[in-house]
Amino acid sequence: ESLIINPFCCLYYPCSAVNTPASRPVTRRSKSYGRSCVEAPSYFWQTPGHLAVLKIPNSRGTAKSQTITNKVDPEHIALLVKNEWKLSYITPLHHFRHTRLKSYSKHLSAFIVAEKQQGVAVEVGLEAGFKVTFSAVLGLAENDEDAETVFIQIQSKPVFAAVADAPKVVWRGWLTCVNGDLEYLRSLPPDFVSLPLFCTSGPESLTTLVKSWFERVFDCNFGCLALNSTTLNWLTALWTGCHPTCNIRHLKLAWSLPTQPPLDVSYTVNPQDAWELWNSIHPEESTDDRIDIQEVQSFINGLEAHFFRHFKIFLSAGTLVKVSTALGSAHVDGKIKVIVM
Amino acid sequence: MDAQVRSVLRRVIQRIPNKNIENLLKKWNCLSADQLCALDYTRPKWMIVEQVTSFCEENRLNLKHITNLEMIYHIENPDKGVWHACQLTEAQDDAVGVDLTQFKEQFKAHLHGVVRHISIKIKKHEDEAIWIRIAWGDNFSKPNHLKPTYVVHHLHTSYVFISNLMAKHKIFLCQALVIATKHGSIKDGHLSTRSLTAMRELLLRRYQQVTYPAMFTVTKHLFAGLFTDPCIGKEHSEHEEMRYQMSCEAFGHGPTPKLETAVYRLETRYRGNGNHTLSDREEFFRGVVRFSSSSLLDSLRHCVASGMAEGPVTPLLSAITQRGRNYFVITDKGPGVSSQASAQRA
Repeated sequence: ESLIINPFCCLYYPCSAVNTPASRPVTRRSKSYGRSCVEAPSYFWQTPGHLAVLKIPNSRGTAKSQTITNKVDPEHIALLVKNEWKLSYITPLHHFRHTRLKSYSKHLSAFIVAEKQQGVAVEVGLEAGFKVTFSAVLGLAENDEDAETVFIQIQSKPVFAAVADAPKVVWRGWLTCVNGDLEYLRSLPPDFVSLPLFCTSGPESLTTLVKSWFERVFDCNFGCLALNSTTLNWLTALWTGCHPTCNIRHLKLAWSLPTQPPLDVSYTVNPQDAWELWNSIHPEESTDDRIDIQEVQSFINGLEAHFFRHFKIFLSAGTLVKVSTALGSAHVDGKIKVIVM
Repeated sequence: MDAQVRSVLRRVIQRIPNKNIENLLKKWNCLSADQLCALDYTRPKWMIVEQVTSFCEENRLNLKHITNLEMIYHIENPDKGVWHACQLTEAQDDAVGVDLTQFKEQFKAHLHGVVRHISIKIKKHEDEAIWIRIAWGDNFSKPNHLKPTYVVHHLHTSYVFISNLMAKHKIFLCQALVIATKHGSIKDGHLSTRSLTAMRELLLRRYQQVTYPAMFTVTKHLFAGLFTDPCIGKEHSEHEEMRYQMSCEAFGHGPTPKLETAVYRLETRYRGNGNHTLSDREEFFRGVVRFSSSSLLDSLRHCVASGMAEGPVTPLLSAITQRGRNYFVITDKGPGVSSQASAQRA
């Protein structure tokens, strides 16, 4: 039995209307990824250049654990929990078909080889050919409108290798949509598929190539998804709240202070003690299933204050850059790791 | 040269950047001038290793020579590996009279008496430091020269610096040190760092502070750039000066010993803000805080000087320099609010 706490419940990503003319106001909805917190629509003018409005909600439901092996093939789970993933968002894909994954595999493979021949730098060996595999990971979708997750693996094989030589996996990525906003998904034109979260692991050069292939073939855009401190604060509270259900083993927070040279401070709190602090702010027995941002802030402030009493250092002068527990980790650079217990 | 000796030699050569190999080999003085000339340091490392190995075979060098080379390498590069500090206590009356010969005799005699197979090498360096290399064996096996312990001690100081000591050998080494230096006991210094230089500077107080007033005007302008706005700086110059003074009192002026980390194990009652039920709790709010930086004392000093830390500097932080340690267990002593650093064994 495996439990997974969905950390992606804290991520918001924009849905941009790429081809809307600049003169009309655009309706924009922030989408909740993982939990259903729907924001009121906001209006704004589309300006040339990029738009990446990330809205963090002021309250959300508590994170709930699920038995994921009932829904997802354990082999697939193993792929997802293996690495630390770098996050990006993608706009909806035009004419993407889950039935054409094999053809996409060949196409992307050829694209990478062609780009390499043109002198685009790829770090993985000089004489390597590439084998790309697109596969569907079924079961991660939460609601009826979520598209199935697509997993991409790139293996390198030396061109003159013997048949017996196993190709090495050099890059992995996956596109997913979990608990997307129903209204938004239903409002998409029929030719579009939304798989808004893109997670990658491997050399940046290959990530860039994969992205540019997607952009060309599916007329979409990528953008960086950074996790700000507020998101990390949410994860801190949500993960700590899970402690009674699944032992989080430790709550480790890392700050970076802008001294010269920079000072890294890591504070690893005993999980039971962290939970008791959280519970004193947001009692477990409370009938209200929602957590408020104030409570999250109170929790972080409590930890920072305890730290301050000892060291007289204002952690708020720095930035919270990473939070990790046995359930996973999240880094402000947009890197995330999910662990299944 | 047997396989072990060749391994030791290979490891030493592999660790050094090619450009430094020549100097080391010259200091070692075991290869002829012709052989030294014949070495090509632009070649790949594995080729250099092979060449040096074959020269050593030619010259019929043995384990003694190779371990000597390794020792020279460590003396020249003291900031590799992880060093731990220990402190000798209960000096006997004749401790000050111990000279190098006595120390060597006593140290070797004790270890040879308690460990069946052991190889000890002692060298005195020009800066008065005694360097000791110990390859440990046991009743059944010969000394393992691939995992030697290194010990550094300045006679008539109370500190001993140790690198790469296994738990099972600790008791033997400690006994030998205590006996050879004529002390009553030895204890954990709670200071670990990669830089032996930093460790020595911190404990032997080699980085003496210049008196505050003289240095302030000179270095103040160096710090000025670190504060945000010169106008604000002017208005707050009194506070600035005070903070700067506090930071230097705690962490010194000028270049500080290059420590990288400090670890605090907190076992104190919760002291957060607000009216949480937690504040009344009897139990400790347990946690471990780890500070790290490429130069920890510089970072902490800037923290205080810039106001990111509130003054006066808490004894928890100033204890790093005042007490020369970077591992602490912090407990509540009694019903009071203040917590003190306590020297508990890890």
